[in-house]
Amino acid sequence: MDAIIEVKDLTKTYRVGSDVIKAVDNVSFTVQRGDFLSILGHSGSGKTTLLSLIGGLTKPDSGTVIIDGTDIWAISDDELSELRNRKINFIYQFASLVPTLNVIENVLLPTAFSREKTDPYEYAIELLKMLKIDDKVNSYPAQLSGGQQRRVAIARAFINRPQIILADEPTGDLDEETEAEVMEFFQKMNRENQITFIMVTHNSALAKLTNRVYRMARGRLQIENG
Amino acid sequence: MARISLFHIARKNLRRKLFRSTAIVASVMVVAGTLFAVTTVIESVERSLKRGTARLGADIMVVPAEAEAKAKTALLAGEPSIFYMDREVEEKVRRVRGVKRASSQVFLQSASYQCCDLANMLLIGFDPETDFTIMPWLSKELTRPLGTEEVIIGRGITAYTVGSKIRFYGKEFEVVGILEETGMDFIDNSVFMPYDALKKLAEESKKKKGVVPANLPVNKISTVLVQVDPEISARRVAIFIEHDVDGVKAIEAEQVIASVRRQLFILLRSILSVSLILWIMALLLIGVVFSMIVNERQREIGLLRAMGAKRRNIFQLIMTEATMLSLIGGILGIIGGGAFLYIFRGHIREALNIPYLWPSVGEYLVLIVLCITLSLITGVGAALYPAIRSMIMEPYNAIRRGE
Repeated sequence: MDAIIEVKDLTKTYRVGSDVIKAVDNVSFTVQRGDFLSILGHSGSGKTTLLSLIGGLTKPDSGTVIIDGTDIWAISDDELSELRNRKINFIYQFASLVPTLNVIENVLLPTAFSREKTDPYEYAIELLKMLKIDDKVNSYPAQLSGGQQRRVAIARAFINRPQIILADEPTGDLDEETEAEVMEFFQKMNRENQITFIMVTHNSALAKLTNRVYRMARGRLQIENG
Repeated sequence: MARISLFHIARKNLRRKLFRSTAIVASVMVVAGTLFAVTTVIESVERSLKRGTARLGADIMVVPAEAEAKAKTALLAGEPSIFYMDREVEEKVRRVRGVKRASSQVFLQSASYQCCDLANMLLIGFDPETDFTIMPWLSKELTRPLGTEEVIIGRGITAYTVGSKIRFYGKEFEVVGILEETGMDFIDNSVFMPYDALKKLAEESKKKKGVVPANLPVNKISTVLVQVDPEISARRVAIFIEHDVDGVKAIEAEQVIASVRRQLFILLRSILSVSLILWIMALLLIGVVFSMIVNERQREIGLLRAMGAKRRNIFQLIMTEATMLSLIGGILGIIGGGAFLYIFRGHIREALNIPYLWPSVGEYLVLIVLCITLSLITGVGAALYPAIRSMIMEPYNAIRRGE
């Protein structure tokens, strides 16, 4: 196995009024290609900020993030955007669909910024079938339940065949059955396509389904098992 | 379905808030429509003035001193005005220094009785020997001299064509030529015939029963049209004429144009001021609305960046939306402004009371391009700051602020 994510001495602080909050405090860890790890922690422990730092959505105060050999904060913004588009995708805990686009358009959205020339439609349908939402291809987000919307957002995260998925409470408000289906899908994609997963959750049972579990508290990361 | 484009996303975004999009389109439309209508009117008047004075063919119009105002009204508003001076004025004018050519005309107004097919029409008698203002402007050249029972009509008299018969004071004339359109009613709505024909008409009308006699004074003329020597200015020649010939006023064509321009400018200045205010309001409105759009869509913008959208993709998305709205507003504005001009064309001519000739297709195209460009500048300019702001937002902050 080779390292796909290398995080070294990562620190991020926020200023709230006169207070300085260390959201991520000197975090270092390495993730191997095809790994599936989870980060447990309470709200405000810095899990989401850490995911955003790894995904290049916010700049750290110090430290480095190396994705597949590239120091993401040493490249231009355009190059970072391209890297995100090709290699990383995110799944959020909130509704993240564009309300004006229907299901298939939402799934295809990342391809609008891709240089790939292949037609992604067939793969989009395949993903929607895997997630059992292919009967809603032409529906709009407002016509879908929360669980259905989440499944569409998950399909969208995989459309550009990313190497890394950063999932922030991906099953947060889903019922048990849907949660199990989503986790099964993640494990399948991890197993069959060697996609690396970092999943943030506060659900210990869910974390147990992953290869390694980290715990985050007050911005600091500690390995729990694995 | 293949890949979706930024244009597709922009189009769907605009449909999201239909009322807001409509409001932006409407504000651009009002600006573009007003600008199109006003510039069309300005262009029309300029065009007809240039063409009309060129068509007048004379640099100076000599009229009785007391008839200056009447003559200007006749020239610009086309209201038939009758005034006379002695025929010998023509010869005196011809002898003035700087006068290259001079030709007299005499005016007669047709009666509003059954004897005349067209009532209150200005019948202009001219001297075919010296004329340089009528015959060269026939839309189809007449190769023979004009007979005493033949007339030429202005383009505004649309009920008649070449070969039609037209009756004045009980005498029938054949229309043998139509003048090119000038936009000046004085020319477009007059009937031209040789002076001898007009004289004969007046004499015969007195002998006919049931016909109102045409009151044409003997040995009188209404105006002398003057072409000046190119080496001397029309202004100076006008001064010489007024000095050498008693009781006349020499009206310069250029002076008439200048006065109309002044008159028009005063009239349109207020409209242009309103247009400017509307334009600034549209700029502010669109700027505010796009700032609201960017604020509302912060999370969406952050998500797009997280998916791999570059800063320029976000900028392009906002600008595409602004361009689409401006373009639609501009096109609708031009259609609206054009429709307004078409529907109220009669009222506009009446209200302006100055020569008016619709622009040519080429001039219209220039105006359309100008208005579309201004619409685009309005929309794109107003959305520029919000677009830049959305482009430089850090994705994580955008997602968090949008929550």
